[in-house]
Amino acid sequence: METLQYTLRKIITGIPLILGVTLISFTLMVHFGPDKTYDLLGKNPTQEQITEVRHQLGYDQSFAVRYTQYLKELATMDFGYSDSSGEKVSSILIRTIPVSLALILPGFILGNLLGVILALIAAYHRGHWIDKIIMGVSVMGMSVSFLIVIIAFQVIFSSSKGLDLFPVRGWDVYSFTDYLHYVTVPTLASIFVSLGYNTRFYRAVIVEEMGRDHVRTAKAFGAHPIELLFKSVLKNSLIPIITRIMFSIPLVVISGSLLLESYFGIPGVGKVTYDAIISGDQPILKAVIGLTAIMFVFTLIINDILYKVVDPRISLK
Amino acid sequence: MSTIRDTSTAKVVEEKIGESMWSKAAYKYRCDRAGMMGLSVVALYMLVALGVGFGLWGTEWSDNNGQKWEGISSQYWFGTNILGQDIFERAIFSTKTAFEVGLVVAVISTLIGAILGALSGFFSNTWIDEIILWVMGVLDSIPFYLFVAAIAFALSGFAYSMHVAMITTFWTTTARLVRGEVIKLKNFEFVEAARAVGVPQHIIIVRHILPNTFHILLVQSTIVFVGAIKSEVILSFLGLGVKDGVSWGLMIAESTLEVQAGEFANFYAASVLLFILVMAFNMFSDALQDALDPKKVSA
Repeated sequence: METLQYTLRKIITGIPLILGVTLISFTLMVHFGPDKTYDLLGKNPTQEQITEVRHQLGYDQSFAVRYTQYLKELATMDFGYSDSSGEKVSSILIRTIPVSLALILPGFILGNLLGVILALIAAYHRGHWIDKIIMGVSVMGMSVSFLIVIIAFQVIFSSSKGLDLFPVRGWDVYSFTDYLHYVTVPTLASIFVSLGYNTRFYRAVIVEEMGRDHVRTAKAFGAHPIELLFKSVLKNSLIPIITRIMFSIPLVVISGSLLLESYFGIPGVGKVTYDAIISGDQPILKAVIGLTAIMFVFTLIINDILYKVVDPRISLK
Repeated sequence: MSTIRDTSTAKVVEEKIGESMWSKAAYKYRCDRAGMMGLSVVALYMLVALGVGFGLWGTEWSDNNGQKWEGISSQYWFGTNILGQDIFERAIFSTKTAFEVGLVVAVISTLIGAILGALSGFFSNTWIDEIILWVMGVLDSIPFYLFVAAIAFALSGFAYSMHVAMITTFWTTTARLVRGEVIKLKNFEFVEAARAVGVPQHIIIVRHILPNTFHILLVQSTIVFVGAIKSEVILSFLGLGVKDGVSWGLMIAESTLEVQAGEFANFYAASVLLFILVMAFNMFSDALQDALDPKKVSA
C-alpha cells in the first residue's frame, strides 16, 4: 500500500518532467524541424495543393494547438502514420524496438557484469599489480573512441582483411544461430567501450565500501574472500551500482544503439529515429521522444523502489 | 636569540611547500608520474594546436597535391588520402579543431554549470532551485545524439550548432556537483559570518562560495573537455559535427571507405592521435582529481 501510494505520488511529480521533455523536443524537432510540404507535392504545385498538404501535415495550426494535439496523442498512445513510409507509427516501433533490444542487451548486461567482476578483483587487490593492470587497461579502454572500436572490430572480425568470421552488416535473423552471427561483433564493440567506464566507476564504489568497519571485522574473523566480497562488500555497494545501471537504460535503448545500428545497417529504433530527424518524419519523432521521456520517469520511480528493496533503512517518504 | 631565528626560518621553508590547498595540490601533482606525463603530452598537443592557429604549420591540409593513396614518403609523412591530400597535414590541423571544440565546450559549460549550480544550491528548496532542477532533469532525459541532431537541424547552417548542443547537455553534470557542494558550504561559519556582517547575497555567492568550488570546476572541465573531443568524432561521423575545416572525426568518416579498400593510413593517423590525446587528458584529469582531493593521502 505504501509502495503504491509512493508510486502514484512519484508519477504525479514526474508529469512536469514529461511536459518539459516533450515541450523542448517538440519545439526543436517539430517547430524548427524540416518542412516536408514540398517533398509531398509534385512539380509546379498550385496554391490550393500547397495549402492542402500543409493542412494535412498540420502546419497551418498554431504552435499551442499542435502541442496539445501531441499531448493527446501521447496520452492515447496513438501517433498516426509515418510521413515518409505511410506505415503506422506503432507498428514501426513494434517492429524495431525488439531489434534494438536484441542488439543492445547482451552487450549491456555483459558489460556491466564484467565491470563489476573486474572491479571486485581490482578493489580486492588494491594497490597490487593486478589492480594497476586492470585500472591501466580501463583508462585505455575509456580513451578509445566508440567509432574507432566499431571500425576496427569490423575490420578484424568481419572483413576479408581480418578473420572474416561474421557478416559485415545487416540483420537477417530467423534463428538463434543467425542472431549470434549478427550480434557478436556489435556486442564485442559495446562491451569493449563500456567496460573501462564501468570498471572504474564500480571499483571506486567498492573500494569505499571495503574500507568500512564491518568488512574489516569480517576479514579479521577469517571470512572467505569470495564470501567477503559478495556478502559484505557487493551487497552494500548495490545502491550506486543500481543507480548507474537504471539510469543508462532509457538512453541505451534509444540512442546507445544509434551508432551501432547506423554503422552495421541494423534496422532498429535508433536508426529509424535518426532517419526521422534528418527527413523530418514528425509522427515517429513525437512517438520516440515522448516514450523516452515517459520511460525516464518510470525508471526514476523503479529506481527509488529498488533502493527500498536493497536497503530496508530507506523509507519511501 | 639564534634559536628563535632558526625556528622562524624553518617555518618559512615549510611554508614554501605551502599550506594552502592549491600549493599542496601542486606539490602532490608534481609527485604523480602518470599525471606529469599526461600533462606534458597535453602541453605538446596544445603547442601543435597553437602553431596551427597561428598558421605556422598544417596550412596545406586542403590542397590535393599528391596522387590517390600514396605511401609514406619524406614529402607525405603519413601518405595521402583518397583525394591525394596530405594526411599528416590534415591530422595536425585537426589538433586545432579538437582543442577548439574542447575548450569552447569546456569553458562555457563549466561557466553555466557553476552559475546555475551555485544558484540552485544556495537557494535550495525554493522555486529557483525547483526550476533549475527541472531544467536539468529535462535536458538529461533527452537522448544525447537525438538532441544534437535536432539542434543541428533547428540551427541549420549555423557552424557552431554542435558546440551549442554539447554545451546544453554537458553543463548539467557540473551544475549537480556544484549544487551539492554549495549546499554543504552555505551552512559553514564563514558564510554565516558574511551574512551577519550584512554582505549582499550575490556577493556571498560570487566571493565566498564559488571560489570554494573551484577545484570541482577544474576537474569537471577537464572531463568535459575529453567528452567534447570524443563526441565531436562521433558527431562528425554522423554528419552533424564540424562543418568547415577538418577534424579527426571527419578523417575517420572518410576513412571508412578507404578501410574497405585496405588503405588504413587515414584511419590510423586520426585514431592514434585522438587516442593519445584522450588518454593523456584522462591521466591529467585523474591526477588533478587526486591532487585536489584533500582526503586522499598519496596513494
